[in-house]
Amino acid sequence: MRATSLALKDLLQIARDWKSALFLVVMPILFTFFFGLVLQPDSQAEADARLPVGIVGREAGGQLGAHLERLLAASEVIRPVPLSEAEADEAEALVDGGELAAAIAVPEGFSQAVLSGQSPRFTVIADPMTTTGQAASQGIETVISRLLGAVQTARISADEFAAAQGFETEGARQAYLMRGLDQAVAAWEEPPLTVRQEQAVVSGEPGESEVPGGFAQSSPGMIVQFAIFGLITSAMILVLERQAGALKRILTTPTSRAAVIGGHVLAMFLVVFAQVLLLVLVGQLLFGVDYMRAPLATLLMATILAFWAASLGLFIGSISKSQEQVITLSLIAMFLFAALGGAWFPLEVAGEAFATVGHIMPTAWAMDGFQNIVVRGLGLASVLLPAGILLAYGLVFFGLAVWQFGFETR
Amino acid sequence: MNDDYAIRVRNLYKTFDEVQAVRDVSLDVRPGEIFSLLGPNGAGKSTTISMLACLLEPTAGDAYVMGHSILHEQMAVKSSIGVVPQEIALYEDLSARENLSFWGKMYGLRGERLRQRIDEVLEIIGLAQRQKGPVANFSGGMKRRLNIGVALLHRPDVLILDEPTVGIDPQSRRNILDSVQEFNRQGMTVLYTTHYMEEAQEISDHIAIMDQGEIIAYGTHDELVQIVGELDRIDLTLSTPPGQEEIRAALIQTWRQLDRVHQVSTAGHETITTEAGSPAEQSPDFEAAVDHSGLTLLVGDSNLVLPDLFETAVAVGARITSVDIQEPNLEAVFLHLTGRALRD
Ligand SMILES: Nc1ncnc2c1ncn2[C@@H]1O[C@H](COP(=O)(O)OP(=O)(O)OP(=O)(O)O)[C@@H](O)[C@H]1O
Ligand SMILES: [Mg+2]
Repeated sequence: MRATSLALKDLLQIARDWKSALFLVVMPILFTFFFGLVLQPDSQAEADARLPVGIVGREAGGQLGAHLERLLAASEVIRPVPLSEAEADEAEALVDGGELAAAIAVPEGFSQAVLSGQSPRFTVIADPMTTTGQAASQGIETVISRLLGAVQTARISADEFAAAQGFETEGARQAYLMRGLDQAVAAWEEPPLTVRQEQAVVSGEPGESEVPGGFAQSSPGMIVQFAIFGLITSAMILVLERQAGALKRILTTPTSRAAVIGGHVLAMFLVVFAQVLLLVLVGQLLFGVDYMRAPLATLLMATILAFWAASLGLFIGSISKSQEQVITLSLIAMFLFAALGGAWFPLEVAGEAFATVGHIMPTAWAMDGFQNIVVRGLGLASVLLPAGILLAYGLVFFGLAVWQFGFETR
Repeated sequence: MNDDYAIRVRNLYKTFDEVQAVRDVSLDVRPGEIFSLLGPNGAGKSTTISMLACLLEPTAGDAYVMGHSILHEQMAVKSSIGVVPQEIALYEDLSARENLSFWGKMYGLRGERLRQRIDEVLEIIGLAQRQKGPVANFSGGMKRRLNIGVALLHRPDVLILDEPTVGIDPQSRRNILDSVQEFNRQGMTVLYTTHYMEEAQEISDHIAIMDQGEIIAYGTHDELVQIVGELDRIDLTLSTPPGQEEIRAALIQTWRQLDRVHQVSTAGHETITTEAGSPAEQSPDFEAAVDHSGLTLLVGDSNLVLPDLFETAVAVGARITSVDIQEPNLEAVFLHLTGRALRD
């Protein structure tokens, strides 16, 4: 009961300082936004990374035109840029000017030629002296040989089928052939072994990517960072209370030391918890970070993070001799825990060793927990380990604070 | 068995590292009386009080407050006392009412009773009109009053005040002394510490004089003054030729050898009623107010001693420029017992 009264008193003091309180919500939102933008892998730039190759005479493609286009689009090396009749005349100039890596003209009657087993001649415009030109030519060759290979495969299959059962009509044979061709092309479109680096899609499909980026990185990151930063206000209350002699005075009233510690830690917990929940809400609604995919897991992480931060705050409050020390220690804690714990950038980015060392930081586990939810799309079970480790760190800080507190008031 | 006394202290000791802050202190405070602990800075007054309030563990000894041991029944002790610390132990960012509300809850008050007591206390300390704004904006005197008010909320059996008049104006000081006597009339036992002998003299039923951790004298004011009853106190001012200050030290040595001279204090004398009121003790004005050329002597019979004093002064080339023969007081008692002035 006295612990609650004490907590309410602390909260009243924090509320008096409402400008700092506002700061604790506004700052992280701004930082989430800016860090999110910086960390956002540019999806447009990634598509552009493939070499642009002009395609002339697509309409001449006939029966196989669609297949050719699909294979061009599926290429890892080149990006097809359809050219109109007017542009076709300029193709050479575009390649020379570097706007295109190469250009290719689809010859008249190419479908018939390919289907009848011939290799039609494609006109390729490229500068063989440049690596770009060479790469583009190779990319084009690859696409063409894929097409020829696919047609070949379909034809062999059709021949086998004809030998085994025979086709009733030529139409049936054609249909069979085209189905086989479709499947072969589709196989190139989704190759089983291609590794693609993609932006961590904030609310994308589960398991799509492991490395977090964008708001999925910055939102939990800033939640963790500002949970620590917020301790300045609440730890300050402890120091002022001790400096004024009010702490000793409380101990002349029939109030136990346990109630004093409990009250202070309760107030800090409530402040950080409210702050975290608010920022989770903002992350969900404003930045599209999907915390609500696993509400229980998010709630558990928020609770344990708040407890850990409150214990750290109690510790800082009990070892600080002055207000300046509170600020210094809180900032050190914030920079140390936030930067090394992966709140600013994913630990994976800095390499294996860094990631391993970073996991000495309790904050790394807080980040793991949140990102298991918002990046990896995992559920409650996946946050149990991170939450457990964070809780253990919280208990250690709490123990140190209580020990220091007893020392201080005797 | 200890119920006959509001506070009973038995052979209390407290040692910090090297410093023996409290040495073998024993006291009995009767229910319903005002008891003063009078002593200079560092005498051990606050340390004694801290032990009575269960803030500090005694190195040895025990004490009982309303019959409860400070070693074994701390919660019962804390429930029966209201402590007014030497410093302003309040939350300056909260209002007077918010402070009283918080402290009331710490004393276990709730709801309507709490609200009622807050209103009463605000009246008593004269802050009913200023209950809303932050305490940070209060004057020193107002803070002191609120500091006291906090300890009254739960109507304690024993009110313990640690130098509650330090650093405030004479009017606030008067106000506090009157209030303390009023609380006492209403039945509270008061333990009051101070280094102003006038305060102890004015309000106390019993006084214990404390110095360097020990109780060096105990009794009513009249009993204590009786210790120096046969003696006169002389305050005098001495002036020496410029550049020959060593004459002064030599003269004091000579006087100390005189038969009827018991003590010579070089701390200077001051008219304490005005000094006590100066807002900051450390202020330069306060230093200036103390006449450092002044001396205080305790002598057997001033009429017989004074001619000797003048004679010896003239012999070394010094001049006595003023002489004031006083009734013996607590200051004189302290000087007699320690050879030092109460105010160093
Ligand atoms: N926590 C402590 N650690 C070490 N020494 C202490 C401590 N508290 C008090 N002392 C020492 O004990 C002695 C008595 O101090 P105390 O505060 O009890 O004196 P006081 O009579 O209240 O003086 P004042 O009038 O200045 O308040 C002093 O020498 C002081 O330096
Ligand atoms: Mg003191």
